[in-house]
Amino acid sequence: MSLLTITHLKVLFPTQDGVVKAVNTVDLKIANAERLGLIGETGCGKTVLGLSIIRLLQPSTKIEGEIVYKGKELLRLSEEEMRKIRGKEIAMILQNPTTSLNPVLKVGDQIAEAIQLHQGLDKRAAKEKAIEMLESVKIPSPEKRANEYPHQFSGGMKERVMIAMGLACNPSLIIADEPTKGLDVTIKVQIVKLMKEVSRRKSMLFITHDLGVAAEICDNIAVMYAGELVEYAKTEDIFKNPFHPYTRGFLNSLPSRGLKQIRGISPSLIDLPTGCRFHPRCDQASAKCKIDHPELVEIENGHFARCLLYT
Amino acid sequence: MIEVEALKKYFSTGILRKRHIKAVNGVSFQIEQGETLGLVGESGCGKTTIGKSLLRLIEPTGGKIIFDGIDLVHLKKKELRRIRPRMQMIFQDPDASLNPRMKIEDSIAEPLKLRGGLNKVEIKEKVSELIETVGLNPEHVNRYPYQLSGGQNQRVALARVLAVNPDFIIADEPTSSLDVSVQAQILNLMQDLKRKFDLTLLFISHDLEVVRHMSDRIAVMYRGKIVEIGIVNEIFDDAKHPYTNTLISPASLEDQLIYEDIKDAGCVFYPRCPFAAEICCKKEPEMVEIGRGHWVLCDRVT
Repeated sequence: MSLLTITHLKVLFPTQDGVVKAVNTVDLKIANAERLGLIGETGCGKTVLGLSIIRLLQPSTKIEGEIVYKGKELLRLSEEEMRKIRGKEIAMILQNPTTSLNPVLKVGDQIAEAIQLHQGLDKRAAKEKAIEMLESVKIPSPEKRANEYPHQFSGGMKERVMIAMGLACNPSLIIADEPTKGLDVTIKVQIVKLMKEVSRRKSMLFITHDLGVAAEICDNIAVMYAGELVEYAKTEDIFKNPFHPYTRGFLNSLPSRGLKQIRGISPSLIDLPTGCRFHPRCDQASAKCKIDHPELVEIENGHFARCLLYT
Repeated sequence: MIEVEALKKYFSTGILRKRHIKAVNGVSFQIEQGETLGLVGESGCGKTTIGKSLLRLIEPTGGKIIFDGIDLVHLKKKELRRIRPRMQMIFQDPDASLNPRMKIEDSIAEPLKLRGGLNKVEIKEKVSELIETVGLNPEHVNRYPYQLSGGQNQRVALARVLAVNPDFIIADEPTSSLDVSVQAQILNLMQDLKRKFDLTLLFISHDLEVVRHMSDRIAVMYRGKIVEIGIVNEIFDDAKHPYTNTLISPASLEDQLIYEDIKDAGCVFYPRCPFAAEICCKKEPEMVEIGRGHWVLCDRVT
């Protein structure tokens, strides 16, 4: 059974220049103990999708559709009820730890805050648990480090703190937003290893633009382009046999695969192209791609793509 | 074309400014005319410091930099300014390195105006020519940097650099803030331009795959030192330094979190090296040539 079911999700931001259609009719399921990778480039809506699940978007945002978590419709919950789920049931590991951590609070206290709130422990017990969490993410001498401030930590270490904070209340679902962004290769390997370890037997939505990292961690992968999912399959199928021209182009633009570029740039989410959103950049586009908007259809067993080439 | 010998750059820190951080600690290399040298290493290893020192955007503490027969270290400010158009740098974050209040057109025209010798009409013509060379549309000239994407801004930075007809370009992580598909576009463009204008390149990056694609030779840096240098294939197929091996297959790296203070004696990589022996912490290794043009800084290899 699926832990999280997203149906027909739309997220719209009204702005002065027009409505930004950040997420445009997304359907997605995450099963128990499934690690799903959400892949796409800057501005394709992947972070917004993550934030809409734990309802951390600004109030002016228009959200349509349904997000059902363990039988509860998250979008209908009151703020009070949502607060009980956020951090405890569903935790988000935000990107960019340097700005996500509070610079004037000791690291240990920041982790203890959530523990105190959700698990009803007193201050001292929460602090002890926080030190335990730091130890579990392999930060050396955690007792000492818990009393230090974020600026005393390196980038990789801060990322570990973010992970410890996310895991502090033992959530069933982790949303990790680009936890390896901006890290050195050697540090990245360590964080990937750690993410794999801590997400064992948990469900995770792993948001990234790094295909290598996603391949390492995820069971299934959803590829997002201009606010919608364009392909969904098991991780190995995405890499061995990508269907959608965008997925193929994305893979081929990796330096290790020959650096073949996709022409043009991603469309503005205010002024989306008609028909298939990818048609202006697609080498295989035909006349009908400009008019017909393709649906996400199952092409092979469990392998979905949104492309007129296959319909 | 470029010859660097025992380049050093120390930064003073501490309350009494008496502690030194050896950002670049005795680095030597050459770059031939028309060649691309890739410089790889983790953040904080001194790659950017080398790039900036070569242009004397920061003053080196010691060593020699010879560019086309001219000793740059002892050049006076005025003479330096005359030579700078021949050596240019592209920075990491294009959104931050362009003036946000200048239209794209003015940004590209600025170096042309500074160089002098062209009237308004000629400058305008040259700008539109450059815009085309780097693959931007004419409609972009009247926009501001915030109205363009990261990839487009990096093209503007390239146009600015090309405006003064340089011979040598230092590219400091030009694609590290870009998406994969945009990165491919910019890297391909750089290779086209290099061929077209017969450029010599120092390509700085932490991404080994990118450097592999762009370079003829690679220099691997660790904590202020070049630990291995050689042609691309040799570095990838026959890496000798343990640190180069960790970069190529980082999975082999243990969960090592110790980052000890650098000691004066001994090898820089000693605290993290899986093959470290007693001698490594006592004696500083020397660069040895183990193959044609393939140098390694490790006593255990020889």
